[in-house]
Amino acid sequence: MLTKAVNYGRSLGAEYVEVRAQNLFKTLLTTKDGIVEGAKEGTESGAGVRVLAKGAWGFVSLGKLETKQLTDAVEEAVRLAKAAGIRVKSPVKLADVKAIEDRVAATSRKNPQNVSMEEKIDNTLAMDKTIFGYDKRIKSCTISYLDVTGTNIFVNSDGACIEQDKLYVWSRVLASARENSVYASAREEIGSTSGYEVFDTETPEKVGAMVAKRVIEQLKAKTPKGGSFPAVLGPNVVGVFIHEAMGHLAEADLTLSGSALYDKLGKRIGSDLVTVYDDGTVKGAFGSFKYDDEGVRTQKTALITNGTLTGLMHDRETAHKLDMKPTGNARAEDFRSEPIIRMRNTYLAAGDSSFEELIEGIDFGYYLKSFRGGQANLDGTFQVGIQEAYEIVKGRVGEPVRSASISGNTLETLHKVDAVGRDFELWPGRCGKGQIAFICDGGPHIRVGEVTVGGGA
Amino acid sequence: MPELIDFGKRAVDFALRSGAEEAEAYLSMSIGTSIDIERGQIVRSAKSMDQGLGVRAVYGKAVGFSYTNTLTLEKIEEAAKRAFKAARASRPDKNWLKLPSQGSFCETRGTYDKKIEGLSSDELVETAATMLEAVEAYDRRVLAVDGGVGASVFHTAVVNSWGVEAIDRGTAVGCSMETIARDGADVTPACFEVDAARVYAIDAEAVGAEAARQAVSSLGAKKIESGAFPVIFAQAALRPLLSYTLINAVKADYVQRERSALKDKIGEKVASELVTVCDDGLLEGGLSTRKFDDEGVPSQKTVVIDRGVLKNFLYDSYTANRAEVESTGNASRSGLVPYASTPVLEASNFVFKEGSMSAEELVGEVDEGLLVYGVQGAHSSNAESGEFSVVATPVWKIEGGEVAYAVRGAMVAGVVFDVLRNVSALGSNVRKMGQLVAPWIRVENVRAVGSR
Repeated sequence: MLTKAVNYGRSLGAEYVEVRAQNLFKTLLTTKDGIVEGAKEGTESGAGVRVLAKGAWGFVSLGKLETKQLTDAVEEAVRLAKAAGIRVKSPVKLADVKAIEDRVAATSRKNPQNVSMEEKIDNTLAMDKTIFGYDKRIKSCTISYLDVTGTNIFVNSDGACIEQDKLYVWSRVLASARENSVYASAREEIGSTSGYEVFDTETPEKVGAMVAKRVIEQLKAKTPKGGSFPAVLGPNVVGVFIHEAMGHLAEADLTLSGSALYDKLGKRIGSDLVTVYDDGTVKGAFGSFKYDDEGVRTQKTALITNGTLTGLMHDRETAHKLDMKPTGNARAEDFRSEPIIRMRNTYLAAGDSSFEELIEGIDFGYYLKSFRGGQANLDGTFQVGIQEAYEIVKGRVGEPVRSASISGNTLETLHKVDAVGRDFELWPGRCGKGQIAFICDGGPHIRVGEVTVGGGA
Repeated sequence: MPELIDFGKRAVDFALRSGAEEAEAYLSMSIGTSIDIERGQIVRSAKSMDQGLGVRAVYGKAVGFSYTNTLTLEKIEEAAKRAFKAARASRPDKNWLKLPSQGSFCETRGTYDKKIEGLSSDELVETAATMLEAVEAYDRRVLAVDGGVGASVFHTAVVNSWGVEAIDRGTAVGCSMETIARDGADVTPACFEVDAARVYAIDAEAVGAEAARQAVSSLGAKKIESGAFPVIFAQAALRPLLSYTLINAVKADYVQRERSALKDKIGEKVASELVTVCDDGLLEGGLSTRKFDDEGVPSQKTVVIDRGVLKNFLYDSYTANRAEVESTGNASRSGLVPYASTPVLEASNFVFKEGSMSAEELVGEVDEGLLVYGVQGAHSSNAESGEFSVVATPVWKIEGGEVAYAVRGAMVAGVVFDVLRNVSALGSNVRKMGQLVAPWIRVENVRAVGSR
C-alpha cells in the first residue's frame, strides 16, 4: 500500500516521495502528592506523506491508514508542493543516499507493553513515597510516566523500505518544598530506549532521594551574586550547555540561517580541550536509533574536534546544499510532523583532569551542578537556569546557592574552557523545536574561566 | 459536526456498560494548512488532518483514561473499555467528587470565520509572499530566517454521564516572522513578530516590516553596566515571564499543593494598584476564547487581581470540588493532540487592563532604562517563588526619554511579585499574544546584569 502511494506520487510529477506509517501505543501516568491523577493508555495510527515537487516540499499528515485516504493525501501533498514552488528561488535538492531495506526489532529485556499498569503505578508511587519520606518540608511532588511502543514503516521513491520498532520509557519528577516564606523546587528525568529495565538501575528510591536532597538543600541556599565569575560545570550542566548553546547552532538548517557558526566550518571556535559529538549510536540512550526519518543510517558525528568546528548535523536537504554527507539527524516526532534536523545524544568528550584539579585554583566562583532549563539564540547568546549550585571558596566547594542562572556567548565561552574532567555522564531529556524529540546530553565536569551569573533577587 | 456528539454518547455509554460509575468523552477534529518560509524563500506547504476521542472512566474514585485517533465504533468501544480497565488498575483519589454537570453556555463572538474554512493554499502562499516582500523591502541587511502563515478550523465536543453535551467550533489564523540582520561581522540576535487572530484579519505586511525593523534596530548593540533600572516589557517578553510565574501562582492546583506564594493572600494587595487582571474565556476574538472549557464547564470572566488586590484563583472542576467552590471554567487539554490528554488547569485569555499612555509616553518618562521585547530562558523560572533570571533579547537602552541603542547580553532578574508591585505605568497598546492580552508594562527598579 505504501509503495503504491509512493509510485502514485511520482506519476503525478513529484521528484521525490516518502511515506511514514505508524502504529503507536502509549501508556501515561501522572501522580500528584501520592494520588494517581489518571492511569492513561492510548493508540494512534496514521501516516505522514512528504513530496518534493517544483523544488518545494508538500506535506500531508492523516490519522488514518487506508488506501483511499492515502492516495488523496499524496495528491494533496503534490498540489501543496506545486503551490509553494511557484515562489521558490533556489529549489530544494536532496543529497544522494543508499536506499536501505531493513527490519529493526526492539530488543528490550522488559518490554513496557508486558509490564502491567499496576506495576507502573506501584513504581511511580514508590518514588513519591521516597520523596515525601525524606523531609517533612517537602510539600508537593508531581511524577509523570510515559512509555511509547509501536512500529514505524518508512518507504520512499529511492527504493528504501525500513520497518523500525519504537520503544521509549520516560519519567519526570518535580518536587517542591517550603519553609516559612522560602520556596524551592527541583526536577529530574529518566529516559531510555532499552526498556522498562531502566528502573532496575534508576530505582525509585535512588532517583527519589536525589531529587529530595536537592530540593531540601535549596531551602537553606543563598542567592548568588550577579556578575562574572569562574565556574565549574557538572556533566548535567555541560550537557545542556552543549545542547542548547552549541548544538542548536550546528544544526545545519540553523547554521545556514545565520547562526553564530555560519562560515565557521574548519575554523577554531573553542579552546583545544573542547571536542563535541552528536552520537546516535549509544546503546539504549534516549536519543539513539538506527535509521532517521529520511531512512539515513545514524552515526557518531564529530561537531568540534580539539576546538575546531569539523561537522554539522544534516538532513538530506542541507547536506546537498553544503555539499556534505547526510548525518542521520532528520527526525519527526510522529506521523503528524515532518522530519527536521534534530540532535541525538550530544556530549563533550572527557579529558584528563580530576574534580579536585578543576576547583583547586578558584578563589571565588560557582560549582553549577544541575540545570533547570536552558535556551539559546541564533547569535549564540545562551541562558541556562540552574537548580543545584554551590559556591567555590578558596578551592573548595562551599555553601549551596539557589535560583542561579548563567549566560554568555557560546563561542566566547567555548574559548574559556580551560580544564576538562575525566569523568562522564549522559542525561536524558526532551528537546523542543516545534516538535518534541527525545535526546541525551552530557559530558564530564569542566572549568570555564568566566561566565555571567545572574541571580534571584 | 454533530457526529462528534454521537460518537461521544456512544463512548460514554460503552464505558458505563463496562462498569464505570461516571464517564466522559472529549472529541476534537481539526484541519490545518500552513505555508513555511525558510531562509528567505517559501519552501513548504503542509496540511494536517487530525481527529480523535479521549474517554475518562471513573470507578470507586479512581480515574482511568484512554484515547484513540480512529473514530470507528469498534475503536471507540475499545477505548472506553481500556479507560475502565485503567481505572480498575489505578488507585482511588480521595479528593475525587464527580465530573461536572451541564451549565448554561454564553455565546462567544469573533471565534469563527467561514472565510478561513474556505482558504486555499494558494491564497496563503500569497499572504506569505506579502510578508516576505515586506522584509526584503525594508533593508537588504535583513534575512527572513524562518516564518510562515497558518490557518486552522476545529470542532470540539464534550459529553458526560451527568448530562453534559457540548459542541463548539472555531477558526484561527496567524503569521509570524523571525529575522536577523547582518552587517559585516555584526550579526543581531533573532527578532520576532507575530499576528494571530480568530477571524481572517491579520496584517502580514506589517508583521514582515516590524520583524525587519527590529533586526535593523538591533545592529550595533553595546554592553551595559549592571544596575537597577526602569524596564518596559513588551508583550512578547511579558508572556513567557508571566506564564511560568504569576499564571501558575494563581492556579488552584498550585495553591492547594503549596506551590504558590499567593496561597492565603486573597484580599491582600499583591500588585501596584495600577494592575487589574482578569481571566476571560469569553473575550471577543480571544485566542483562547471558547463556549466551554475542555471538560464542558461554561467559560466565564474571572477577576484575578483588582487594582492590585488578589481576588480569585482559577479552578477546574477537580480543584473547585476540593475547595468547595465553583469551577471557573479553566480545564484545558493542551498540545497538538488535545484528545490524547486529560484536562489540566490552565488560564484562558489572561487579560491585563490597559493604561492610558502611548508607547512613546511610556518611553518618554524614562531617563535611563531598558525596553525589553523578548526574554530567553523564562521556562527555567522558579514557579513556586516567582524568581526569574533571564537574558533580555532583543532589548534596547532608553536614554533621556528615547530609545538609544540595542543592548547585547543583558540579564534581568527578580521576583515576579516584586515586579507586579513596582509597576509604574501601563500602555494603551494592548495586544493578544498567546494566552496573554496586555499592553506594554513599565516596571521600576528591575535588576539588570550586564556582561563583561
